[in-house]
Amino acid sequence: MLLALLLCYAGFTALCLSTDRHHGELLRSKPSPQRRLGWRASGWLLLLGSIWPAVAVAGWSQGLVEWCAVLMLSALLLVLLLPYLPRLALSLAGAGLLASPVAAFVTL
Amino acid sequence: MKEGFRQAMAWLHTWVGLIFGWLLFAIFLTGTLAYFKDEITHWMQPEVQAHPLDDARSLAVAQAYLQQHAPDAARWFITLPNSRDPGLSVMWQDKLDPGKRGNFVQKVVDPVSGEAVLARDSKGGEFFYRFHFQLQMPHPWGRWLSTLAAMVMFVALITGIVTHKKIFKDFFTFRPRKGQRSWLDGHNAVGVLVLPFHLMITYSSLVIFMSMVMPAPIMASYGADTRAFFSEMFPATDNAPALGQPAPLQSLVPMYTQARAQWAGGQVGRLAVNNPGDVNASVNIFRAGSDRVAQDFGSMVSFNGATGELLRVGGGQSLPALIGGTFYGLHMGHFATPVLRWLYFICGLAGTAMIGTGLVMWLGKRQLKHARTGVMPYELRLVETLNIASMSGLLIAIGAFFWANRLLPASFAERSDWEVQAFFIAWGLSLLHAALRRGRWGWIEQLSCAALLLGAVPLLNAITTEQHLGVSLARGDWAMAGFDLTCLGSGVFLAWAAWKMRCRMAPQPTAERALGLNLTREAR
Repeated sequence: MLLALLLCYAGFTALCLSTDRHHGELLRSKPSPQRRLGWRASGWLLLLGSIWPAVAVAGWSQGLVEWCAVLMLSALLLVLLLPYLPRLALSLAGAGLLASPVAAFVTL
Repeated sequence: MKEGFRQAMAWLHTWVGLIFGWLLFAIFLTGTLAYFKDEITHWMQPEVQAHPLDDARSLAVAQAYLQQHAPDAARWFITLPNSRDPGLSVMWQDKLDPGKRGNFVQKVVDPVSGEAVLARDSKGGEFFYRFHFQLQMPHPWGRWLSTLAAMVMFVALITGIVTHKKIFKDFFTFRPRKGQRSWLDGHNAVGVLVLPFHLMITYSSLVIFMSMVMPAPIMASYGADTRAFFSEMFPATDNAPALGQPAPLQSLVPMYTQARAQWAGGQVGRLAVNNPGDVNASVNIFRAGSDRVAQDFGSMVSFNGATGELLRVGGGQSLPALIGGTFYGLHMGHFATPVLRWLYFICGLAGTAMIGTGLVMWLGKRQLKHARTGVMPYELRLVETLNIASMSGLLIAIGAFFWANRLLPASFAERSDWEVQAFFIAWGLSLLHAALRRGRWGWIEQLSCAALLLGAVPLLNAITTEQHLGVSLARGDWAMAGFDLTCLGSGVFLAWAAWKMRCRMAPQPTAERALGLNLTREAR
């Protein structure tokens, strides 16, 4: 579940960065159209990709339920962090991505 | 035309949400607590000790106990201890006179010593579970009302998606400290981010009661004989009658082993022995609901109790039964591991917060219009009173329920009923208080009271039992320790909310913005 959580959180952060307003708030610049597309594509890829570790560990029925739970939790966490601690919200996503190979090694 | 449709949906969302909001808030919060029903029961019956799990030993102990105390019963039920609920529970039903139902007697037995545990009489977490769909009303009115509330919730969710058209565009938006705007943001954020859970929990609650709400398909297929439907759905009700010739009951342990082999190592939840001591005794072994997501009531193995012969293996669902069982299982969350159970709990709190923020927003919008004159019309006063009593008052009632459990003496007559009375008395008093105290002060005082009640729970536990945090943590009894810590955490949070409201009150006594963020999370 941990790896799925890290990937979901990073995915939502990428989707968040694909919008003009949040990109401006977090990175203090307006994204170019290619950049925006890049963020959006990587966000969706991460979200979809996070299904795999959840299902691989717990099987289809339990895994999908866990994935849904983690999906909702990570979005909730990100949205609550954004207005208060934007830097932390962003660095958590980065740290999560860096830690995901370790999490993969431990859980899979 | 399109705008007209959206306005109609907004009207429906507003009014349906207001009328049923108070009830739905209570249903959601108690239902959320019910995810930790076993843990709450464990805390409320601290006399039941946790032992390392050993099913064979527990089963032998239960059988010996029942053989000694209820050899002539019509039925025995045995529920084995598990990691969440350490009690070995045995129940029996007295012999049935024709046309009359025998009485049920339930005992908790210590799985090591084999003696009945003299646990205090308490409903435990079962109270919250029952309340969230029966609402403490006579059967079947509570079920009907809560099902109606579920339908209204479904309508409110769908109209909410239509009304707040920007929720998906503003997916990541939450702007605190901006008054009404923050409330709307918070309402939308907990609504849309946890939307899959909201839709699942609301729709599945309708599926659970489908035989009550929509009996037409059953009647069409089975005619007036609805019993036939239920014995097909729940095959365990279809057992051989007693012959009246005595025969000793075989040991249950080999049957238990055989049943588990049938499920490739699946866990046993409950055993039912019909007519123990008769030649025609039957033993039904049910699979634990924690094994799979989809609930399968037919998943059981049946034996002849006198010979030990395997009679039939139930289970294997048709597709519609599998879909229904999946919704049932998803709603109940019996299969959830500790982490997933906490996620369920958080989702439930988010749903509660969504309802709470909606109620506060309804009032806030209308109060603004009257802020200048300073005179509030009667109906807004009424809504404010009900808002305070239904949200912070419910928290006080929950705290009072836990306190009553520790303070009422064990020998008190009808003890468990008085715990429930304490819950409703506290709720009633908070309604009275909300009616007398105006506005913000009602909130602050009630939140402080709830904070005090819940925050002091670990202290209360330490004074009245031997199982304070030091002991439970050292022993690794996470249900007991987790309960204390969660109460402490909620108490701290509520105290923070009350303090925050008080701080914001001084400079701007009338402005709505002071409500700000506090209440968004107050709903927990």
